[in-house]
Amino acid sequence: MNQSGNNLNRRQFIKSGAIAVGALAAVGAGVGYLQKVTAEARINQDFLRPPGAVDESDFIYGCIKCGLCVQICPVQAIRLAGIKEGLAYGTAYIDVRAQACDFSCDSLQCVETCPTAALYFKQFKEAGEKAIAEYDKLHGQDKDYNPFPVQIEAMKRIVRMGVARINESTCLAFLGKGFKGTPRGKDFKGINRSPYTGEPKATPLKDKVYDEKICNLCVKECPIGETAIIMEDNTSKGGRIVPKVLGGCTGCGVCVMVCPTEGPSIIVEPIKS
Amino acid sequence: MFGKKNKTPLPPKSKEEMPFAKMGLSLKEWRNNHVNKHKWRTIRWSVLIGMNLLFIISITLDLALLEGSLSGSRLLGFYLMDPYNTFQVLVISFVTGHWKYLTMNFVIGFFTIFLFYFFAGGRSYCSWICPYHFLAEWGEKLHDYLVKKKKIKEHSFNIYLRFVFWGGFLVLALFTKNIVFEDLNPIGILSRAMIYGPGLILLWILALLVFEIVYSKRFWCRYVCPVGATWSLVGKGTPLAIRFDLDKCAHCLDCQQVCLVPHELWFVKKGTATHDVHHAGSDCTRCGLCVDVCPGNALSYTIKGWEKIL
Repeated sequence: MNQSGNNLNRRQFIKSGAIAVGALAAVGAGVGYLQKVTAEARINQDFLRPPGAVDESDFIYGCIKCGLCVQICPVQAIRLAGIKEGLAYGTAYIDVRAQACDFSCDSLQCVETCPTAALYFKQFKEAGEKAIAEYDKLHGQDKDYNPFPVQIEAMKRIVRMGVARINESTCLAFLGKGFKGTPRGKDFKGINRSPYTGEPKATPLKDKVYDEKICNLCVKECPIGETAIIMEDNTSKGGRIVPKVLGGCTGCGVCVMVCPTEGPSIIVEPIKS
Repeated sequence: MFGKKNKTPLPPKSKEEMPFAKMGLSLKEWRNNHVNKHKWRTIRWSVLIGMNLLFIISITLDLALLEGSLSGSRLLGFYLMDPYNTFQVLVISFVTGHWKYLTMNFVIGFFTIFLFYFFAGGRSYCSWICPYHFLAEWGEKLHDYLVKKKKIKEHSFNIYLRFVFWGGFLVLALFTKNIVFEDLNPIGILSRAMIYGPGLILLWILALLVFEIVYSKRFWCRYVCPVGATWSLVGKGTPLAIRFDLDKCAHCLDCQQVCLVPHELWFVKKGTATHDVHHAGSDCTRCGLCVDVCPGNALSYTIKGWEKIL
């Protein structure tokens, strides 16, 4: 190649390179603008991050949109966001009203599978190991020694996807009403493992029939139990028997999914950091 | 500036030395005698479709064969990470401190795929795995047809633009604290669309394809894609290559016609080859189109170093 050809090449490269840098700057400006507009509004009751999610500002780049957590979730609670979420397009989220995280995996494998620690497993691992160590001391000699239920119990207890909040103006219990039938209708696709039946796997909610004098579905189906939500008897104080959310709530959203009112009378509010 | 073609070329072959003359044919007869059976293209498309299908099979049948998507996956339990995603996440997390949390699987996944393509030909990822390549290959056919019919003009740019984008997207990632490229990456978008269901983002793929068809041949793959640029860097020292034998070549240039990166076949032009044997460079996607089309079998797959041992 002769000298003038080289120069022409170089000039071409500098010219198109400048256009490329300009295009990149435009993309950057667009991303910066979208970040400003959407970051605040993104996380809400219909768009919660899966268990163990790091802070949203880290999650947005930590989540490489691979979908490994989506595949491993046995109840398919985790989905990948659509284009309307802007920059969060393709990232993992849970819409608890459609399908809650009911912990029927018994291992938090979505967190363990995440390669980039956008879902951070170490905290759960340590909690589980600590629980096993304590259980060892007490039950190490037992014939049917099985530490795994203790481990998963300790792990799921520290999940904080959000905190449930009851809307007292629409909640059936607060209105003194009961519930009879199937809460979300016969076409609802969501599944969960009811803690009171001892069933090994999650089963469709549309097959479950309730007959409660005072509606207590949220309390009955809660996978965490009495540290998270209870029915509080206020009758002695002239009140009613109503659900009450406690400090152990993990924000898993099973209560939101099973709530029989048209719009859910209980929602999971994301924790603002 | 970038070339390394300073060595003096070998003298051009005389007509008697041409492979068709040795067989007693004219160049035209010799070319017409060759029936392109598209052997390597068939194999390559089968691998490409098969691998992408494996992702879909794994999720629909709930098998642990090949989980995840091309952005990050797990093959029989071993993690594989997209290299450019890895770079972006690393760059940002070194600033924010998230790097302390990154898992061992992340590290293993990156090095596994890095080593694999170091041996398996760098950009072979492009033509053997990338689903966008598959679409763009058809787009390219359409583009070539339109150029031939003089409906459109060809626009080409400098191929080193890729490295401007390669660095540029990393800088962008750093400034915006966001893996910007993954939002635009047609590989990830197509892979996710196939595995987790389609979305409106596919319009972006359509826009890219249309641009490639009507304006510039293979625009994204040639001048933008930093994933391909990464593999091209990895492919600098790779043993799997396309080998060129000067004595079997009649300089018909059929191979450059079909080649996705014709500059890597610079030595096929009469009077340019500096050695009797050449290997296509690191931009070569090892697609095998030239191997299929060559009338004299002057181009073939090889593993560098093996030739000497055998």
